[in-house]
Amino acid sequence: MRLLGKLWDSLVYLVLLVGGVSMLVPFFWMISTSLKAPGAVFDLPVEVWPKELHWENYQRVLTSVPFGRWYLNSLVVALGLTFLNLTSGAMAGYAFARFRFRGQGALFLLFLATLMIPVHVLIIPLFILMRNLGWVDTYYALILPGLFDAFAIFLMRQHFLHLPRELEEAAIMDGATPWQVYWKVALPLAAPALATLGTFTFLAGWNSFLWPLIVTNSLEMRPLTVGLAVFQGQFSTEWTVLMAGLTLGTIPPILVFLLAQRYFIQGLTLGSLKG
Amino acid sequence: MRVYYRFPLLFLLPSLVGFLAFNLGPILTSLLLSFVAYDGLRPLGLATFRESWVGLENYRQLLEDPVFHKAFFNTLFYVAVAVPLEIVLALLLALGLNRPWPGVRFIRTLYLLPTVTSVVAVGLLWRWILNPTVGPVNLFLRWAGERMEGVYGLLGLTPPSWVAWLAREGPGWLSDPAWAMWGVILASVWAGVGLRMLIFLAGLQNINKEYLEAASLDGANNLQRFFYVVLPLLSPTVFLNTLLAMIGGFQVFGLVYTMTGGGPLDSTNVLMLYLYRKAFGVFPFEMGYASAIAWVLFLILFALTYLQWTLRKRWVVEEA
Repeated sequence: MRLLGKLWDSLVYLVLLVGGVSMLVPFFWMISTSLKAPGAVFDLPVEVWPKELHWENYQRVLTSVPFGRWYLNSLVVALGLTFLNLTSGAMAGYAFARFRFRGQGALFLLFLATLMIPVHVLIIPLFILMRNLGWVDTYYALILPGLFDAFAIFLMRQHFLHLPRELEEAAIMDGATPWQVYWKVALPLAAPALATLGTFTFLAGWNSFLWPLIVTNSLEMRPLTVGLAVFQGQFSTEWTVLMAGLTLGTIPPILVFLLAQRYFIQGLTLGSLKG
Repeated sequence: MRVYYRFPLLFLLPSLVGFLAFNLGPILTSLLLSFVAYDGLRPLGLATFRESWVGLENYRQLLEDPVFHKAFFNTLFYVAVAVPLEIVLALLLALGLNRPWPGVRFIRTLYLLPTVTSVVAVGLLWRWILNPTVGPVNLFLRWAGERMEGVYGLLGLTPPSWVAWLAREGPGWLSDPAWAMWGVILASVWAGVGLRMLIFLAGLQNINKEYLEAASLDGANNLQRFFYVVLPLLSPTVFLNTLLAMIGGFQVFGLVYTMTGGGPLDSTNVLMLYLYRKAFGVFPFEMGYASAIAWVLFLILFALTYLQWTLRKRWVVEEA
């Protein structure tokens, strides 16, 4: 019986391990293709790993499309969204956690209710708004709608509610203004929550697709996701170059995830997810 | 305890501006738009709404629109297949990875990597992986088919036609209308299962170990402990996870856009893709019609959430 149990355990472990490693096969295929000779990818039998490494695919993706610009756009958008979201989310979260004002409960509920509204309901009027403001194809349109995020407000409010008040009260005794209390005492204490929210927002921003697809139309303003998706037609005969582009584009989110895995997982376990 | 009593306008200002301009305003406009015929070109003002008001006409047209029907049932099919697959697989993974194996954190990370990869990368990558002639999926299937042929040969039997088919060509994943949606589902399960697993893991770790120990003392075996202790205690997580997966599934867009563009023959056209095409795809834009699609989709999601919430009492065990 004990032996059977051990055998079963080893089998389960093996399945989990093999399953985990096979999750990497698509990534492996992506990198392997990105290093193959451009003309040879359809040759049979298929080379699993190329004997000669063709680094020029990377060079070609960097030069044949404005890849650097797309990369920069993605970075600007992801960082911009993160900054904006953290700023407005933390401020509003603090207000809901530490202030008392008329209509507070109703306003909070109203904010939370927007979590029920899926983005696709917003995108058409939001696009029309951006066009009327003359913001189509600018960073404004890509970033500013991130000014309000009910999830961020909720997350930050929860966090501030759980902070002990003693330090803030001491600061108030010393004559600090509400803003000073927030900026110098409460916000630094909220660093873990900010890291969680920041990781989430950065990844969501880097990977976002639908909104940037709608609101950009010039080659120069596309973020990487949109650039690669829209130009896949141009690449479709050049899988090696496309895979080189995907490889480069997949590095930042995976790096951020590996570095901030703890915060990412915290964000999830707070019961929180955004599509 | 001391709190501030003044209205904290300074702190709420950015969010309020964002809320009114980018949420509340657009929501109301979207609702109004679904009652007009709007090509997206004229400036949008009260006059436009008055002149192009069509009432419920957009919604009536949806009832008769064959492409909408197709997209509707495709979306339903996608959700009905991908979500249960993802949930069951993720639950099994979470159960397995909730134990102190050597290197368990590393193995979890392996399953999570696709989750942080953008849908565009996932879609374009899988389009290549599922290539019928040189993609690894069909390479593997052909290899397996040839092995099966070999086994039949050794036994002196003629292999059935599907084995021969597997060995020669295999499924035409994204090019054959019968297979295209399955290709999309394959990619989406690969990309989504890690996230679902993580949520289950969090739920499992919240389960009080004492219940399990008590069950063991009463002589329950592993299966009994799972069905009578773990699963009931995990039911709130199963509920939340399934609901989130379904909500996400109904809004699938990026994968389909990059993998198939809705084709072949609309076999992977989904509601979000149809909405996108109507609003921004080809001129003349039908933004009113697209808004109607958006609200139908919203109603589906709302009804789903409501239904789940009501059914919740039936099968979710709240810990006393």
